[in-house]
Amino acid sequence: MVIHPYLTSLRAIVGREALRFLHQRERFVAALVRPLVWLVVFAAGFRAALGLSIIPPYQTYITYETYIVPGLCGMILLFNGMQGSLSLVYDREMGSMRLLLTAPLPRGWLLFAKLVGSTAISILQALVFLAIAAAFGVTTAPLGYLTVIPALAIAGLMLGALGLALSSFIKQLENFAGVMNFVIFPMFFLSSALYPLWKMAESSELLHDICAVNPFTHAVELIRFALYGQLNLPALGWTIFATCAFMAFALWGYDPARGLTRRKS
Amino acid sequence: MTPGLSVQNLSYNYGARKALDDVTFTVEPGAFCALLGPNGAGKSTLFALLTRLFTTASGQIAIAGHDMTTVPRRALARMGVVFQAQTLDLDLTIRQNLTYFAALHGLSGRDASNRIDASLDRLAIRDRASEKARSLNGGHRRRTEIARALIHQPDVLLLDEATVGLDAATREAITTHVHDLAATDGITVLWATHLTDEVRDTDRLVILHQGRIMQDGHAGTLRGDASLQQHFLTLTAKPA
Amino acid sequence: MIRTTLALLVLSAPAAFADEMWITNERDDTISVIDTQTLEVTRTIPTGARPRGIIFSHDHKVVYICASDSDTVQVMDPDTGEVLHELPSGEDPEQFALHPDNRHLYIANEDDAISTVVDVETRTVVAQISVGIEPEGMAVSPDGKIAITTSETTNMAHWIDTETQKIFANTLVDSRPRHAEFTSDGAELWVSSEIGGTVTVFDGATQTEKAKITFDLPNIHPDRIQPVGFEFTPDDAIAFVALGPANHVAVVNMASYEVEEYILVGRRVWHMAFNRDHSQLFTTNGISGDVTVIDVASRKPVKSIKVGRFPWGAAFRPTN
Repeated sequence: MVIHPYLTSLRAIVGREALRFLHQRERFVAALVRPLVWLVVFAAGFRAALGLSIIPPYQTYITYETYIVPGLCGMILLFNGMQGSLSLVYDREMGSMRLLLTAPLPRGWLLFAKLVGSTAISILQALVFLAIAAAFGVTTAPLGYLTVIPALAIAGLMLGALGLALSSFIKQLENFAGVMNFVIFPMFFLSSALYPLWKMAESSELLHDICAVNPFTHAVELIRFALYGQLNLPALGWTIFATCAFMAFALWGYDPARGLTRRKS
Repeated sequence: MTPGLSVQNLSYNYGARKALDDVTFTVEPGAFCALLGPNGAGKSTLFALLTRLFTTASGQIAIAGHDMTTVPRRALARMGVVFQAQTLDLDLTIRQNLTYFAALHGLSGRDASNRIDASLDRLAIRDRASEKARSLNGGHRRRTEIARALIHQPDVLLLDEATVGLDAATREAITTHVHDLAATDGITVLWATHLTDEVRDTDRLVILHQGRIMQDGHAGTLRGDASLQQHFLTLTAKPA
Repeated sequence: MIRTTLALLVLSAPAAFADEMWITNERDDTISVIDTQTLEVTRTIPTGARPRGIIFSHDHKVVYICASDSDTVQVMDPDTGEVLHELPSGEDPEQFALHPDNRHLYIANEDDAISTVVDVETRTVVAQISVGIEPEGMAVSPDGKIAITTSETTNMAHWIDTETQKIFANTLVDSRPRHAEFTSDGAELWVSSEIGGTVTVFDGATQTEKAKITFDLPNIHPDRIQPVGFEFTPDDAIAFVALGPANHVAVVNMASYEVEEYILVGRRVWHMAFNRDHSQLFTTNGISGDVTVIDVASRKPVKSIKVGRFPWGAAFRPTN
């Protein structure tokens, strides 16, 4: 196996994602506004000004703003993953996906490269969000801003892989609204992003159990611990497992023997 | 001699409907082969299989002797494709679009840039290289896509309804260009179309209808005394 | 070379001081001892009933503990945790202050409306001074000439001449004064008012009011803002004020009397103490039963340490 074409193609695909991102600055701003609205408007109005109980990785009482920051990072990754899914469906309809898939490289590698590209953009956005949050006084340990990067990468890959898997099953662009309703919202709200799991258990055990198996919960917890320089092993395991599962789905969905666009023209 | 393009007993079904039924033809290296068929004849399915968008268990495809099933990547590497839908990134310049494609084929640096220059020269659009694809008209976009498909110096060039949506003069120019590629550069061309005026008498002609090959020969011989248009209409009007 | 550097590092690193923070647990009748290096509880020492005020002698040889429901002040050997003897304190001692002479304890007797002055050497009551109802806060000026008692119901700070042991001035403060403290130069006296929600600053020389500090936390009802304990940085630049059930400590600029920041700590924060180099502040959070450690430089809470039930007072003990 010659390594060179693999790296060349990876660089090009990641570079193209970066350029696309530069050309769509509105998308970048929009992706930041969403979590910032949550942080500034919603969190400020919550009663938790008196502090949330101490749960790991926190060592002392925290404000609600501090609590939801990792969840909002996850929100950025989640929306970007779905946005990536949307653009894949769009690309496919427009044909540029075909161009990618006719490259003389394993399809899995090409899809992985695309995933790496979109995840890199997501990480960048999450870091900008963390910087803005810090400007609002919601900070973490300085080292946490470094240790969070690998966590964002793994979580980003997981949600990107989910987007990829979904895109192979969504036959038409118009179905994307359904994805929003049936994937993004339940995934975000039924997770530890906005409320700790023990709080969920207070209202309903079932709710707690759903949240506990939601891979997004584990992505958020991975980020939460990493922000404090800590490794949450179960969350890491779950996130990696989910990444592999979604990736396997995506590869199956894009398997040429299955027929990518089983539509007649 | 290894054929440029070889399709043997190819079949493909969408559920119960047969989109391709035992399709067999070969194209000699350096030949221009027109694949003529009305809409729904199975041209797009054939192209999807040729470009490995899907695969099928029945039949074989070989590109310059490389089997699509056993060595798909080697086959894809010898092939250039121009899709019916336009596939340029409109926010990028022509050169950026071509550089991206070159990288997908593992080409980078000076080698890639020399090939891109040569390819742009070949299609006479090098002076537009730094313009954004968005600013180009349909004809130039198509030329850019053809130039792109040639960067890695493929043995076989596949074009799927490459002239769709273009005006008559541009259509003519592009058709001529691609004929030249076959004649002077020795590239095997498969040109799918439903427009008979793009086919020359000296071209290889494969007529596809309802998933089967109706006729296979030289365009001039096949049409006889009738115009190709008449010949084609008579042929496809008959119940298969 | 590397080895020498390492050896130097090891040598120059401060030897494990294991300095301690002593916390009285009002409900458990114990003291929790926190290692200020590891921030972990290393010892739990039994005391008399309902320990509240806690203070070390200036030489740190003994520790005085107000065992309120035992109606006594206990004198403990901090090394062994053994109660050496008890001091006659009057009934229900809550808070006290140790005179700079290291000999006279000024004790507030909450239920009796008196302040008791005890000589810790002869273990006798030197004087009892009638003050307002429910005396609580206690302070002695740095020069030792003035003692202060605040009375929670009368809403006054009583100024006592320590030579005559007589009140020479009374100043009104807002409702339910809890804690009083002189600045290190004695120029100012600060008094916190729990129900009034304010801290009043008096001129130490003229006993006149200089300023009144109010607190305002977004999203927290003003009724919950109940200032109790406070501490000054050694340079008298910053005051940290515990705001009780507001669960925050206010950071007050002592030159402008403006609140600069609020730090989130545990539930119902009352008293606090600095570590050796004043880099960390330990607050007692009664309802949540823990002690929050604040990094003084960054003004961020670092950690909350579980102690006994209803931690009340805090006192620092250097161990060498």
